[in-house]
Amino acid sequence: MKAQSINWWAIFWIVLAALYFLLPMYGTLDFSLRMERDTISLKAYAIVFADPRFWQGFRYSTLMALITIVVSIILFVPTVYWMYLKVPQARPIMEIITILPFVIPTIVYVFGLIRTFSRPPLQLTLQAFTTDMLIVAGYVVISMPFMFRAIDVGMRALDVRTLTEAAQSLGSNWFQVLVYVIVPNLRVAILSGALISFATVMGELILASFLVRPALAPYMALLGLTKAYEPAALAIISYALTWFSLGLLQLVSQGGTTRQLTGR
Amino acid sequence: MSHLELTHIRKAFGAAVVVEAFNLAVTQGEFISFLGPSGCGKTTTLRMIAGFELPTAGTITIDGKDLTNTPPNKRNVGMVFQSYALFPNMTVAHNVGYGLKITNKSKADIMQRVHEMLALIQMEEFAQRYPFQLSGGQQQRVALARALAIRPQLLLLDEPLSALDAKIRLELRQEIRRIQRQLGLTTIYVTHDQEEALSLSDRIVVMSKGKIEQVGTPTEIYNAPATEFVARFVGHINLLPVTVLNPDDGLVSLGRQTLRAGRFGKLNGRPVQLAVRPEEINLGAKPSANTLSGEVESVTYLGSIVRIGLRIEQHPLSLDVFNEHTLKLPCISETLAIHFPVDACWLMEKSD
Repeated sequence: MKAQSINWWAIFWIVLAALYFLLPMYGTLDFSLRMERDTISLKAYAIVFADPRFWQGFRYSTLMALITIVVSIILFVPTVYWMYLKVPQARPIMEIITILPFVIPTIVYVFGLIRTFSRPPLQLTLQAFTTDMLIVAGYVVISMPFMFRAIDVGMRALDVRTLTEAAQSLGSNWFQVLVYVIVPNLRVAILSGALISFATVMGELILASFLVRPALAPYMALLGLTKAYEPAALAIISYALTWFSLGLLQLVSQGGTTRQLTGR
Repeated sequence: MSHLELTHIRKAFGAAVVVEAFNLAVTQGEFISFLGPSGCGKTTTLRMIAGFELPTAGTITIDGKDLTNTPPNKRNVGMVFQSYALFPNMTVAHNVGYGLKITNKSKADIMQRVHEMLALIQMEEFAQRYPFQLSGGQQQRVALARALAIRPQLLLLDEPLSALDAKIRLELRQEIRRIQRQLGLTTIYVTHDQEEALSLSDRIVVMSKGKIEQVGTPTEIYNAPATEFVARFVGHINLLPVTVLNPDDGLVSLGRQTLRAGRFGKLNGRPVQLAVRPEEINLGAKPSANTLSGEVESVTYLGSIVRIGLRIEQHPLSLDVFNEHTLKLPCISETLAIHFPVDACWLMEKSD
């Protein structure tokens, strides 16, 4: 039998694609390190980290992302579970609804939010706290496609109905079925949905800037308009953050094998 | 007083009636099988007893207590599913102890009961394994232990052996019966496998199209099927369309050959058929028995028995003979005489 020859074309395309992605990143990294003339330094990073607005934005976005994740889980896990158990025929409708944030531009959505909720009787944008409520609601909608899909895929791998009935016959009520049986078996799905939602919220610009809240993305945008080296440093920092999330995702996914998840 | 009682149960999904006129009284410690083809309503009936479906009409009582509308988690009924349904995120020990944890039993109580149950199914050394690390047979044993751990007043098994291979199925079947006898637990077992039903049950409920065809001991069901459906569904049977010659002594004719039926009810002129099991028929003629002759159509070798197919007066008939070393197999197209005792055959009305 002929030994498998190396496919040079495949390697060529891989290298080309890698260069396409990595070169700009390398350029940004290199640029971010050259704030001081003729030397490599972390000065741009030091300036970013020394800026209280960066930390404010980072803290704010992280907090909003975490609240978004909690709200999404509380909202979507029982909803998808109920859909699988009681109204499986509603699945196509759910799919369409959850894909809407991809179809409707965020800017249109934000204008809609502001027009609806900043006028009487609600006037949610008058206070910071109520604006934050509005922003979390917005983030939940924007991250809905990721969260729904992650939970949906996890649920599909389980025999939801039989597991529910088994737990019920052993004395569990609905809440106990959900907490002891369904959620633990969706651990990986929920975590992956949460991490993608986290990355989405951390980089979300439009909602935060139009509702004038001190999130990370508007700070990045502002910095980009007025500074040269610091935005490059910030871009690298946000890359690192995203990759950290993805790395974490990879790590938790290895925790549960498919067989353990499906029980087959 | 009966332990479990189902009275006038009816279940309809929209216009489709799935179970109708279902009445059954089960005594404490009895092993009952629901037997029937798929779609006959046996699983739906079981699910109504478990509380997963509500009957459209009728009542379900356990020990005189009406449970018709009680939710499944308040019934104290153990259930074993075809797909095992073990919780994938829990070890064997946690699966077995789950029902006790839910009812806030102390850790020591749970541990002791889990230990007892694992000893019962002889799987103590598997306590810390996860379901995916077990074979199908082991998973089903754990599922059985989990259902028994809560000390249910009733055990329900929904085709528990269907997903297993033949050898394991046989072993587990005996184990289920052993454990059920040991605990004296009232058990309902749903199956489409007649051999399972015949070998396990105290009584069998044969169902077809949502209705009970017959309730009886395995012997009654096999030896005296009440309807043509039961006769055909349980075991192999020959049904020969015959003409009644004398309604008082069961004398009938099959073409030009005359036969006598051992059992016959009131013959009201409707078309009847003579029923006889293949294993009751012997080779050769015998003056004191029903004797027929016909042409050999097929000879099928089945290991311990050989099934011979004949055509008698245009009607097929099969008989089983033991595969003894002295057996001389007949040839195809050979004319063969056969006989069967008068009391081994009976007359049945032809169903529409």
